[in-house]
Amino acid sequence: MNNPHISEQYDAELDAARNLLMEMGGVVEQQLHEASQALIDHDAELAARVRENDVRVNRFEIEIDERCIHIIARRQPAASDLRTLISVMKASTDLERIGDEACRIAKMAAALADLEYPDDQYNDFRLLAAKAETIVAKSLDAFARLDVDGGLEAIASDEAIDDGYDALVRERGSTMRQDADDIDRAVNVMWAARALERVGDHAKNISEYVVYLVRGKDVRHEKVQRKAGN
Amino acid sequence: MPAADLRTQSSDAPRASSSSQDASLVVDDLCLYYGETQALKNVSLTIPKRQATAFIGPSGCGKSTLLRCFNRMNDLIDSVRVTGSISLEGQDINAKDVDVAQLRRRVGMVFQRPNPFPKSIYENVAYGMRLAGKMPKPEMDERVEWALRSAALWDEVKDRLKESALGLSGGQQQRLVIARAVAIQPSVLLLDESASALDPISTLKIEELIHQLKSDYTIVIVTHNMQQAARVSDYTAFLYLGELIEFDRTDDVFTNPKRKKTEDYITGRYG
Repeated sequence: MNNPHISEQYDAELDAARNLLMEMGGVVEQQLHEASQALIDHDAELAARVRENDVRVNRFEIEIDERCIHIIARRQPAASDLRTLISVMKASTDLERIGDEACRIAKMAAALADLEYPDDQYNDFRLLAAKAETIVAKSLDAFARLDVDGGLEAIASDEAIDDGYDALVRERGSTMRQDADDIDRAVNVMWAARALERVGDHAKNISEYVVYLVRGKDVRHEKVQRKAGN
Repeated sequence: MPAADLRTQSSDAPRASSSSQDASLVVDDLCLYYGETQALKNVSLTIPKRQATAFIGPSGCGKSTLLRCFNRMNDLIDSVRVTGSISLEGQDINAKDVDVAQLRRRVGMVFQRPNPFPKSIYENVAYGMRLAGKMPKPEMDERVEWALRSAALWDEVKDRLKESALGLSGGQQQRLVIARAVAIQPSVLLLDESASALDPISTLKIEELIHQLKSDYTIVIVTHNMQQAARVSDYTAFLYLGELIEFDRTDDVFTNPKRKKTEDYITGRYG
């Protein structure tokens, strides 16, 4: 754990930026959960709420950027302070994108809401949504605790989401070939699943910033060894 | 420029080998004592040639003391005792047969407060060269112009070379002092807080000058302004209580220092 700054105000400013990111993370987590739920439950009202919430998420991104820019301009941060600010700014961009993906899912949910669909038809999507929500939660948790091992675990778990998405696409493709009436529904579910796959990528990015923030090592676009301690 | 011999007379004494062809100054296990007080503790580092190296650290950490070892300014203090070695391009600067005046011609120094002589601008720059020996006037004129151009001062003073240097602004005086140091073509320039007592524009001009000069000279700068170290240097050494805590590329020191003490200092934390 770092010692406090000589300037308490500086600590307060950095804490405020970090806390705002965590608050944004909470809103985005809820947005993602509700979007998937709206799709599974054919709940058009919930889907509409998710899309309305996007404005809130966008405002968070702008406010976080502003605060970080002010700190950079006034304090000329270095070392872990600089890495913190850069990571907070980049993570907020990824969170905003996760919010956008949630809206995309909500849009598919609205399109599916009026269609008949047996409940068990969403099992693969439900599973994928759970995995996406878990990687987002893990990444945010790793960010809050500056937990590199947790971040590396989250990075590794993105592969399972990619595999889940591929399996869903294969399965839906074969359903479409068998039943042309199912094409509309299957396409919407596939689009929503694609959004979940993207959510996984953004969450993975957030975990990569945790590694950068704590260790000063840039692991983006690298086949990093996922084992803790590397 | 071939390395000038620092010795007063020819000698077959072996030269200290530098750890790299690109080394300018090699400091090995250097300890310095002011009487009973140890000011530098087993400092070892290699200062690369034609790069800017910054020494940072809190007051009293030994950064200026270390800088002053490079041209043996500490010799002027009676109670100083030094162990370990420093070599300049392979030559031990503390060897008995080293001519200190010759060393100081090769290792120039600029201080915090500009200290021009109460003479004309021209004479300030010509002074060191006159000490080194007679030079025909046209050649001297050429060298003065070259030195003033090197110090990014020529355009501002070319029409008043005969006027007193004391009429220049602080920032101009500091660049004049740098021109004076550069005129005798040293291999190393030591800047001891040389851009600290100037206004922000003059400071930036000196910093820009450091950037230009390092293609010809090895620059070592002591500064208590960390942002200045970050802006101008290629390598940064952090000293604390007489010890060299970290020495690395400036990019690494300011984004990802390896030692917690360095991190605490450059981020403004309680150590």
